[in-house]
Amino acid sequence: MTAKPKSLEQEPLYETISRVLRYNIVSGRLPDGFVLIEGPIAKLMQTSRAPVQASLRMLNAEGLIHRFRGRGYLVGQPSANLKPIRKPLEDFDFDIPPASRSALAVRGTWLRVYDKVEAEIAACQIFGEFRVVETELANHLGVSRTVARDVLSRLNERGLIRKGATSHWLAGPLTARTLREKFELRGFMEPEALRMATDFIDYSQINRICQQIESGKAKDAAELEDALMRYCLRKAPNSTLVEIIDNNRLLLSAMDKALSDLGLPVDTVALDQYGALFHLIGSRQTSASTEYLKEHLRILSYKSLARLKIVALIPESESIPKYLNRV
Amino acid sequence: MHADLRHSQKPAAPAQVKRRVLRIRGTDVTLLEQVRQMAEADLGFEIQHESLDFLTCQHRAAMDPSNYDIYEQCFHNLDIVWYWGALQPIDTRRILQWDKIGDLAKTGGISKYTWQGHGDAPVRKLYVQPDGTLGQQPMPLISMLPTAHNVDSFGFDRRLFGDEGPEGSSWAWLLDRRARGRIALVDEPAIGIYDVALAAESNGDLTFEDIGNMTVDEIDSLMALLETLRQQGFFVGSWVSPDQAEALVRADRVSVQSMWSPSYGNLGHMQGVFCESVPREGYRAWHGGASLARHLSGSQLDIAYEYLNWWLSGPAGAVMARQGHYMTNADGVREYLSPEEWGYWYEGEIARCDLKGPDGRIVVRAGRRRAGGAYRERVSRIALWNTVMDEYNYAARAWNRFITSLGASGQ
Repeated sequence: MTAKPKSLEQEPLYETISRVLRYNIVSGRLPDGFVLIEGPIAKLMQTSRAPVQASLRMLNAEGLIHRFRGRGYLVGQPSANLKPIRKPLEDFDFDIPPASRSALAVRGTWLRVYDKVEAEIAACQIFGEFRVVETELANHLGVSRTVARDVLSRLNERGLIRKGATSHWLAGPLTARTLREKFELRGFMEPEALRMATDFIDYSQINRICQQIESGKAKDAAELEDALMRYCLRKAPNSTLVEIIDNNRLLLSAMDKALSDLGLPVDTVALDQYGALFHLIGSRQTSASTEYLKEHLRILSYKSLARLKIVALIPESESIPKYLNRV
Repeated sequence: MHADLRHSQKPAAPAQVKRRVLRIRGTDVTLLEQVRQMAEADLGFEIQHESLDFLTCQHRAAMDPSNYDIYEQCFHNLDIVWYWGALQPIDTRRILQWDKIGDLAKTGGISKYTWQGHGDAPVRKLYVQPDGTLGQQPMPLISMLPTAHNVDSFGFDRRLFGDEGPEGSSWAWLLDRRARGRIALVDEPAIGIYDVALAAESNGDLTFEDIGNMTVDEIDSLMALLETLRQQGFFVGSWVSPDQAEALVRADRVSVQSMWSPSYGNLGHMQGVFCESVPREGYRAWHGGASLARHLSGSQLDIAYEYLNWWLSGPAGAVMARQGHYMTNADGVREYLSPEEWGYWYEGEIARCDLKGPDGRIVVRAGRRRAGGAYRERVSRIALWNTVMDEYNYAARAWNRFITSLGASGQ
């Protein structure tokens, strides 16, 4: 066998992403003035953000896109009458050529394993501080170290792990202080996002949720919390805010999940409160609903603090995967 | 007819009466065999005790709520079980002697001028608020019926420390260099941490913004201090049950240690040598009680209420008194104690005769006076309550690592 030419799968990820973006710009699929933002591109290409950043810088240097006063880059050359087009990539005929697609798919392996690792790393933090060992993680998942690194870089972006002084990856501990601070942030941001979202919410959807709650079909407070995020808070016209809210919730949802896996029964009071909240949102009582959300979050914070205490009674060895070492 | 007559000569089958059973899950603080027998005799249904250590008890009460009817524990770890949804509120309108329960539990102090104490004062967890949380705003529904309680300090060897003197002792003695190598601590995190925290604050090593709700940094400092002291050989070890604490004293292996009321009557030849302290900083208090399991309803709920009411009626409180614990309905207890017993345990009087403990052994010799005096004197000097603080998960894990390391170097 002769040596293969360097395949697309071996080229750096940012090269592949640049290739796809370049193709879509040059072929006119993305019009001049289109706003390119890392997050949606990373999502569409199933990668983390770091390589998208690198490729945008590259295309900027090539002159295909340029910086402007807003967030992200604009497609095309700078000109006075270029109006930024802020729309989802999916609204255009965005195309990923098959060769690049398969290269991305291989690199996208991390996405398939990501959710599991995210859940495990979020859940371990209630038990204390852990070091995440990259090689162990790769072995555990049966993937290359490159993929493991992609996973870790995404976890870092979402604020679930951080680099310690010796440049090891560290996770946790989820203390009462962390919990209190995260709920405090929720109290600042979520009612505001709800207020901002008022004109963008699909009210028929909210009415369907209200009906589900009234008919007793919605039995899970976590589900309703997700619905609040998906159908209300995410509609706020400030994607940075929405993203911070999302990331801030991550560890809290993981704790809820971990506790419910341990057998925490349904919180019927919380269910009732979501019922009242969706009712207020559905009837467009904006001030009342934001105030109610604030109060709901205050109570939730209090209960979460109390529930975290029971974790002290649970031995950690039961649920910690091998790639996590206690610090 | 003949056949029937033949049958009638056989003994009649016993009537199929469903046995009524009430299952109590708790700790040996209140689950005493004598109490169980008295309750059975008075109430006419079977009572089963499941006595567990503090931590196992909380764990099982929360995670396995269908296998008990009544949960007997302390207010300070009620959070864990309550917010796990394992319990149901108690309707105080069904508690006949509710009005006779003292203000210590109901309002936080025996008078409005007394300081409530840091941490989990029972009143802060007593009333079920409309949003399902627990708080001190009075409501007709409560989380736990307040029953036995006490104030604790530490025990010390007067051969080393001398007598207390008018100022009393100080929690600082618990980490005193003079006792190096002869100090033992109770292993329960919601209690042991506070014994040493009080000691560290009293001797000036550390200060806490709110000792009843420490921050992560404060916990780290406390654990670092303990580790240093451990390396210097301060500790002989830790104890899990009071009889282990008593054994350490009888073997003369400790000069100062965490210790609870009932133990002072079980010290054998060391009685009078190893004394209950009256620390000038005040006591570490605890409050027990009984709660209803969530699953109870109908007639089973009725007998559970009968049992709760029985707890306040007096006999149980008399047994508690003989091991040094107080009851919320003291008037009820008084009827079941001799005047000498009442005088010693509640009034702080000199014992006019030898006094027996719950198991019939003599625990107090004539002529002795209870350390700290009368009920009112003792409970008006509460520095803090046993507490499951917000950072309990963090603190208890750090504490358990420390206790494990003591085991390796200590006993």
